[in-house]
Amino acid sequence: MGADYNQFIMILQLKLTMDNRRTKGIGANAKKETENALIKQSFSQLMIGVFFAIFFFFIKSSFTFYFFFHSFLMAMMAMMIISEFTTILFDTSENVIIQPLPIKGNTISLARNAHVLTYLTLMSFNLSVVTIITAATKFGVLSALLFSFTIFMNVLFTLFLANMLYLIIMRLASGEKLKNILMYFQIVIAILFMGAYQLSINMVDKTHISNMVLPVHWYTYLIPPAFFSGLLEAFTLFVFDIRHLIFIAEALLVPVLAIFFTGKYLTPIFNRKLMDLEQGDRVSKVKTETVRKSLWYRMMFGIFVRRKGEHAPFKLIWTMTGRERLFMQSFLPSLGFIVIMIAVQFFRNNTFNLDEIIHSKLYLLILYSFMFIGLTLPASLLNGNNQQATWIFKTVPLSLPADYFKGFIKAAFARFFVPFYLVISVGVCFLWGYTVIPDVLVAILAIYLVTTLFYYLQSPGFPFAQPKTASQGGMAFVKMMGLMLTAVALGLMHYFLLRWSAYAGLLLIPLYLGLIYYVNRIFVYKKITWEKVDEVNIYP
Amino acid sequence: MTIKYLIEKMSNQTIVQIQNLEKFYGKKQVLHGINLEITSGQIIGYIGPNGAGKSTTVKILCGLINEFQGEISIFGKDLRTNTLEIKKQVGYIPENAVLYESLTPMEFMEFIGEMRGLENEITRSKAEALMNIFEMKANLNQRIATFSKGMRQKVMICSALLHNPDLIFMDEPLSGLDANSVIMVKEMLIHLAREGKTVFYSSHLMDVVEKISDRIILIDQGRVIADGSFDELNKLSNDENLEKMFTRLTGNTNHGEKAEAFINAFEK
Repeated sequence: MGADYNQFIMILQLKLTMDNRRTKGIGANAKKETENALIKQSFSQLMIGVFFAIFFFFIKSSFTFYFFFHSFLMAMMAMMIISEFTTILFDTSENVIIQPLPIKGNTISLARNAHVLTYLTLMSFNLSVVTIITAATKFGVLSALLFSFTIFMNVLFTLFLANMLYLIIMRLASGEKLKNILMYFQIVIAILFMGAYQLSINMVDKTHISNMVLPVHWYTYLIPPAFFSGLLEAFTLFVFDIRHLIFIAEALLVPVLAIFFTGKYLTPIFNRKLMDLEQGDRVSKVKTETVRKSLWYRMMFGIFVRRKGEHAPFKLIWTMTGRERLFMQSFLPSLGFIVIMIAVQFFRNNTFNLDEIIHSKLYLLILYSFMFIGLTLPASLLNGNNQQATWIFKTVPLSLPADYFKGFIKAAFARFFVPFYLVISVGVCFLWGYTVIPDVLVAILAIYLVTTLFYYLQSPGFPFAQPKTASQGGMAFVKMMGLMLTAVALGLMHYFLLRWSAYAGLLLIPLYLGLIYYVNRIFVYKKITWEKVDEVNIYP
Repeated sequence: MTIKYLIEKMSNQTIVQIQNLEKFYGKKQVLHGINLEITSGQIIGYIGPNGAGKSTTVKILCGLINEFQGEISIFGKDLRTNTLEIKKQVGYIPENAVLYESLTPMEFMEFIGEMRGLENEITRSKAEALMNIFEMKANLNQRIATFSKGMRQKVMICSALLHNPDLIFMDEPLSGLDANSVIMVKEMLIHLAREGKTVFYSSHLMDVVEKISDRIILIDQGRVIADGSFDELNKLSNDENLEKMFTRLTGNTNHGEKAEAFINAFEK
């Protein structure tokens, strides 16, 4: 394809070396130099592979077995591409370094694709190694060997799909808008994946699986995992009828054609678009922001902000949360997860009896589930690429840094949680009647109390200024357990009060208001002092 | 009492007094006992090689770094105990600092103005006026992410002057600015000094420092090695310009040899 082999290898090597020194997640900033990030990542992938291998082990039919595994592999690769490679595929920063060097465009794009391919191959190998061994014991060594081959074909095909997908998205939008579309796309995919996982855990019956045989319809010939599993079944059972021959032809031809098509037609378009993206960034993004604040903002400001020192921080974070993609990327999926968890509760026994539900106190479970944001909202406020902008907080005369942090969490809560909660409450009131309004009110007070408390207990880093790192393992677990216990305890307290009297929930309102007053007026000022803030933040 | 006398009295006021300032990063000492007294209405050029401790001094004076040894008083107040009072009258333009990219200059300045206790209306009109001087009024409501380096620097300068500070610290304020803006900022600094404000100016651009500074302080390895107006310093040594003096005092005189070695490296 007219690429220089030596240059190609050098670029690929450079990219892999840089990846290996990054902390978890490509695109994240490493605080200290790390080595062997790839090995650590591989290990966790291996574990996921073991988990799924056990799951697939029970399937008797070879076609079904391979079909499920190839589907799973494609889903995992799609996740990986969306979450990690979006940054790599759209990384134009390297252009500044590589473009001026005498390197052909083909070499660069080939290296980029090879980089992604290396990753996907490594990941597929980690995920499938246990399943390959399982396949060897179940269907014979030949079948397992061919299985490894089809896995590679699958990787090639998925890479082609990813290229296609990104080209379509890039055709639709450019610049800032494109980045926003990708962000929402990532959020939706994350939620869907979580939903699918929950459903498969809850709904699939294991005895049912073992005897499952997928029927072959006319459209089965169009599903990529079916190509590969058709080929594998043919060589496992040694049947070569017309049906299997079609699958074999597809399994061999489609990926090869796809990768040829990618190299010949897609990559040049992609590169051109990428150049436009970089050039057009400046021009397309220039947009005048509206100065006037909405009625909603003024309402929330009136409700939440009490002290003068909180005014400006509240306004700052209100504006920024709507524009920081990393914040939305980490917070919005958590709201989606909660909704899915609730939906799973509803459909638990595959029956949906509305009458029964209305006479239960299930709405308390729904409302208190949202206490989960006490964990995700504070964490989402931390991460971002603004490490260099924190100096501003230090040059301004402010005696009590706690006022900053109060303003921050209040703005994020008011802008991103309150509207969502209102929608949910309207649904709850619609189903359970207006008598539950006091309970809705009590629940949001409890959630607000817990969220602010968790935010003040977290290390006081300025918003969007901490590089994204993997969660601190043990500490995160302790927090998680603490939050779960708190949510359950508060929910149960509410539940038993309601059993005692229908309006007993009202008693909780003064209690929570008192606690909120204590946390926001006394506790936070003891907790967040300049000494503690200076420990966590760096000022360039 | 004449006006002239008043001005003279004002310009002789001590604004910053530093006594035996020392700073350690871990075990490494970066400032070795700096002593300075700065009076109002002056432009102080603070120069020195990379890593001499310029930015550290400025950061300490602005309250970004709290831990240091020695005594510092600004406006006659102790920096350790009256940090807030001092911050109210100080403006700071940092060197490598970044602004919040997702905000517009107006939103950014509104934040700073409000945190400094200015009325919102006043902040807005001042922001407009200041940005207008830099011919950036049209960019007031566009996101900073779309700006070039020079435009960002201008926003930074505007936001530091919003509250009409009496003492202004600038760390390489001219980096990234176009020629017109450089001239403008230089004029602006001279005007500010004439109004009785003190400008503490740290830079690597020797010709600019030489032209605008009333007093030049040269530090190297955490120590003051020269202090005075350019003429005073020149009398002592007879260097042609500040650049020559700088290289002589900071001990790098063999530039010629080094450049030759550089050329030789290509020929191999």
